Parts: sequence; structure tokens; C-alpha cells
Amino acid sequence: MSNALFAGVDVGSLSTDVVLIDSAGATRAEVVFPTGINGAEAAQKAYDLALEQGGISRDQIKAVIATGYGRAAVAFASGKTTEISCHGVGAHHLFPDTGTVIDIGGQDSKVIQVDGRGRMLDFSMNDKCAAGTGRFLEVMAAQLEMNLNELSDPRHVSGESVQISSTCTVFAESEVISLLAKHTPREQIINGLQRSIVNRIWSMVISIGIQGEITITGGVAKNKGLVTVLEEKLGMHLNVPDNPQTVGALGAAHIAQRGFKDE
Amino acid sequence: MIPNRSEYLKQQALQGQKIMGVLPALYPKELLWAFDILPAEIWDPPGDIVKANRHLQTTICPIVKQSLEFILTEPGIVNAGYLFPHTCDSLQNLGSQVKDMIGVPVPVYTFYNPKGNFNKATRAYYGDILNEFLQVLADVHGPPDIEKLRAACELGLKIDGRRIELQQARMTDRLSLNSQQYFQLIRAAEFMQPVDYLYLLNQVEIQDEPLKSHAIRFLISGILPPNDMTLSFLDDLGIGIVAEDLLAGSRRIPIATLDPPADPIEYLTDRFFLLPPCSTKAGSLDHRQQYLKKLASDSKAQAVLFNIVKFCEPELFDHRSLVKSLKNEGLPVLSLETELLPGLSGQTQTRIEAIVEMMGDEVLA
Ligand SMILES: Nc1ncnc2c1ncn2[C@@H]1O[C@H](COP(=O)(O)OP(=O)(O)OP(=O)(O)O)[C@@H](O)[C@H]1O
Ligand code: SF4
Ligand SMILES: [Mg+2]
Repeated sequence: MSNALFAGVDVGSLSTDVVLIDSAGATRAEVVFPTGINGAEAAQKAYDLALEQGGISRDQIKAVIATGYGRAAVAFASGKTTEISCHGVGAHHLFPDTGTVIDIGGQDSKVIQVDGRGRMLDFSMNDKCAAGTGRFLEVMAAQLEMNLNELSDPRHVSGESVQISSTCTVFAESEVISLLAKHTPREQIINGLQRSIVNRIWSMVISIGIQGEITITGGVAKNKGLVTVLEEKLGMHLNVPDNPQTVGALGAAHIAQRGFKDE
Repeated sequence: MIPNRSEYLKQQALQGQKIMGVLPALYPKELLWAFDILPAEIWDPPGDIVKANRHLQTTICPIVKQSLEFILTEPGIVNAGYLFPHTCDSLQNLGSQVKDMIGVPVPVYTFYNPKGNFNKATRAYYGDILNEFLQVLADVHGPPDIEKLRAACELGLKIDGRRIELQQARMTDRLSLNSQQYFQLIRAAEFMQPVDYLYLLNQVEIQDEPLKSHAIRFLISGILPPNDMTLSFLDDLGIGIVAEDLLAGSRRIPIATLDPPADPIEYLTDRFFLLPPCSTKAGSLDHRQQYLKKLASDSKAQAVLFNIVKFCEPELFDHRSLVKSLKNEGLPVLSLETELLPGLSGQTQTRIEAIVEMMGDEVLA
């Protein structure tokens, strides 16, 4: 059954990610697409792009697992699984010694404990607000008039830092405004913001505990400054995938493969 | 089958029934019944919070906010006063605010339940406050009729007995109610006449043989059950709430039935000290841990769901240790925070589905 391919579709609040794998588990296509206002449409488009990228026809795909907050809207999926399970499985495939996964996306952050097979043992997830998520950083980047790449520069976290006392996006934003008005150097503010998110994540991590290697997934893993501060705080090296945004979709594709029974 | 709360109470008020608005949670209902007063409990009245916010801090739990909103906009049902049991500091403060600052056209009563680890002295204290409360009511409603009080206790005893039977039946899959129906039944105790309520409880059929067991068995702990949308989501996923440790539920029912009351005050005192452990009584945490573990094992629960009211100090105080000790027993634990709003967020759905996935290979496959 070597021709069989499997798809994972992760409809997140900001990005819709698709990964196609073959029966040996090798990635054949990988797409990151903005979710926008219509998750169902984004899923379809991202899926079409992935098929095109891999030169794959639709009937080669034997199973599709949808995940992410928009998982229920993926009409062509054969099943759905939460992004919590999917990030666990995906991270395990990339780094088999992973025991703890930290997924920081646009609106959610999660800490997931997995066993030696990538199966979830426990998890913790942020509450409704955007504190400690990618959205928080986006709001702050806009306030600081810079893009995410600039904000993520690890050089900003090496020097002095201001204390951002609020983790709430709305309050932290007004703190940033008043710091800017006082001519506080931008790098100090950025440093403070990164540390404030890390504190938030750290409290989720300790609430369920660390085991094994830690792998960080989700778009915020691209934020090198934040990864640096988090490594410092945890006193551990973090595994950072080449494409952290597609780890959930990768996990979904593997779950699709696992669940597929060859007729 | 279960009447609508506000319709029922309106009807009662129209018939000239004396109705007292009672805040959560532990108070001697039987004393009120003996004076022909119907307690109408105020937990989570629906509606927007507009007026109450003026009087309260933002970090006060939504039960307190919603109750105050209800009191400030009360539709003329409560005619015999308000009763504030000392459940937590927030409710106690609300009681004093309503009495001294806000002012309402009916009397405001307080009832100071004992807290901490119970001993002989707390028992004596509880007897005293029961007698005091009896006197306070007598001052307004005339001298107590001891036979009536005894009859009220007997009625309460029957209700307790039936509730215990139903809890047992729920744990052993012998009730055909889904979670939503079950909690509606439990919560009808908050406003119905005891005779009507007992009749309702007796209508519920207990099967002789267990029905098909739920795919997944949960024990729930907290102040209130989740809202209807969340309950039906759980039902749809095949999750059965087979046991509950809720302040609005089993924490108000003694762990065993008592003998018929000879002396009503003695009986009510015995009853109070037979209630299950509860965060609002500030007892030993160890006792709560043991109690929850036993409840989980008796009901064969496979996971524990904490439904935490936002900013609820008593519950949050115990929460972390309870989670830890249950997890140590190998029980998956899910904690949801509620602001008592209707609806079901995507995040809550994800959390619930994730714990189901965590519990089963077959679900993940
Ligand atoms: N190049 C980058 N540098 C720094 N941060 C980035 C970069 N690209 C994306 N991010 C961060 O990643 C976040 C989005 O992550 P991701 O795509 O994993 O979210 P999502 O899966 O759509 O959201 P969720 O899982 O919460 O529903 C953005 O909010 C942003 O903060
Ligand atoms: S929910 Fe908690 S804080 Fe609020 S009234 Fe009840 S016991 Fe008090
Ligand atoms: Mg995501």
C-alpha cells in the first residue's frame, strides 16, 4: 500500500496548515496559509495548494484528519482530533525523545506531556484571554511599530529589561504606550514583553511538570528572542522544529495514517 | 415535568405564599418550612449584570454579582426577606452591603455556619445558632409550632433519603436521565415546595438492572454544574456524569440517612455534621481528598471534572492540592473555569475533547 498518502489539516486562529505524508511517514507537501475569516475556505485552499505542491491527486489521499479550533468546519476531513493531541504526536515524530510540548499559537498556548509514543499524558491550556499567546505579541509589535521578525530578534533580550506588570493584553498595551511616552528604549520594552509571556508559559509548564526533552511548536516558536528567554527560565535546551507552525498538521497526518485500516 | 423556576415562584407569590430569597448554600430549610416560608435560592439568575457592578469589585465571583443584580431588580416575588448564610467572605460582605448600604424593603437575615474542623464546641455552637434563628423568625412570624417543625424535619428526611437513593442509582447506571435532566432535577430543590419536590423525586424511576454504561464516566466537583450547553456537549460525547460533589448538589445532602427526629434541633444539628466535606466549611483538605477519591472509586469514575466558578476563593484555595492528589491516583483531571454565562467556547470544547482523547487509544486512532 505504498501509494497511500495521508493529510493533516490544522485550522488555527491565524494560520491554516496542511501536511501530506506518505505511508513511510515522509512529508510530501507542507503549506501554511492565513486562516482569515473563513476557516472552511482556508482549509480547502490550503489543501488544494498542498496537493499541487506535492503533485498529488486527491484520490491518493486515504484519510484526512482535521484539527485546530476550526476542525469542525473541514468538510473533506474523514475525522477530527484536537490540536492538543496533534501537537503531541507531531512533536514526537520530529523529536522522538520529546516528553513535553509547548505549543504557542495565535490565540491559545498549551503545555502537553507525552509518553514514548507521542500519546498525551496530561495538558494545560490558557484561558480565554490572549495573554501569553502570539496575538499578544502581535498587538505589542503594532504598538512598537515594528514587524514580528524585528520584535523576535534575540539581541533584544540580552540587555536590560523593564518590568511589564500586566499579562492582560489590554493593560499591557497601555503600559507599553506609557513606557514609550517616557522614552524607554524599545529593546528594554521588548525584553520586558518577552519575559512577561515566558512567565505566563512557565506557570503553565510547572503546573503539569516537565519530563523528557521539551519541544516548542506553533508560530511563536519562530520568535527567537522568546525561545532564548524561555530556555533561560527553564534552564533547558528547547527543540525547535524547522517549521513549528505545521507540527499540529503533521501530527494530524500521522493520526490519519494510524487510524487508516487498509481494506 | 420540572416546573420553570420563575413561573413557579410567581405562581406561589400570587397564591400569597411567603417567600424568602436565600443565597447559597447551607441553611436550615426545615426551620423556614415550619413557618410556612418557601426558600427561593438565588445562585445564578440569568441576565446581564448592570446595576450590581456599581457596588462590587471586578474580582468578585459571578454568583455574588448575579445575586446582587437579582436583588436590585427583584420582580416582587421575595416578600419574607433575604437570608445570607456565611458561605464565604464575598457573600457575607454582600449581606452586610444589602442590609446596611443598599437597603431592601424586606428584612435581611444572616446565618453563620460554623467553619473549620468540627468538635463538641462547634456542635454546641450550631445548636445555639439554630435556636437563635428560630427566635428571630418567631419574632416576625409568631411562635414556632414544634409539631410543625418536627413534620418539616420528617419531610426533609424523606427528601434526603430519596436523594441518596437517586445518587446511588446514578452511580450504578440505574437512572435513565441524561446529565442535563439529572441536574435540572437536583436543582429544582432550590425553589420548589418540599411536598412538590418530594413528589417529583418519587416520579423518577430507578431501574432494577443497570442500563448500558456510559462510554466515559466522569465525577464532577465544584459549586454548580456546567451550563446546559456544556452538559449536552458532554452527553453527546458519551460522557456520563455519574457522581457529583457540587455545593448545589450532593454537598447539601447528608452522607447517610438519620433516624426520625425526636428533637428537631438535635436532628438538624446531627444532619449538618453529616454533610460531606466542602471548601466553604473550611474543613480539613485531607478529608476532602479522601472523600473525592472514594466517590470516584464508588462511582467507577474514570476522570474528574472541576467546574470552577471564576474568583471563587474557597474552591480555588483547595483546587490545586485536590488536582494533584487525584492525578497521583492515576485519575485524569480537567478543570474548567466558568463565569456562569450561557454558551460553550471553542476552548472549552477542545479541553473536553482532549481529555477524552487522552483517556483512550481507540479515540485517538
Ligand atoms: N516569523 C515569525 N516570527 C515571530 N513570530 C511569529 C512569526 N510567524 C508567526 N509568529 C507568531 O505565531 C503566531 C501564530 O502561530 P500559529 O500559526 O501557530 O497560530 P494558530 O495555530 O493559527 O493559532 P491557535 O493554535 O492559537 O489557534 C502569531 O501570532 C505570531 O505571534
Ligand atoms: S462561588 Fe465561591 S466565592 Fe462565589 S458565592 Fe459561592 S462560595 Fe462564595
Ligand atoms: Mg495552532
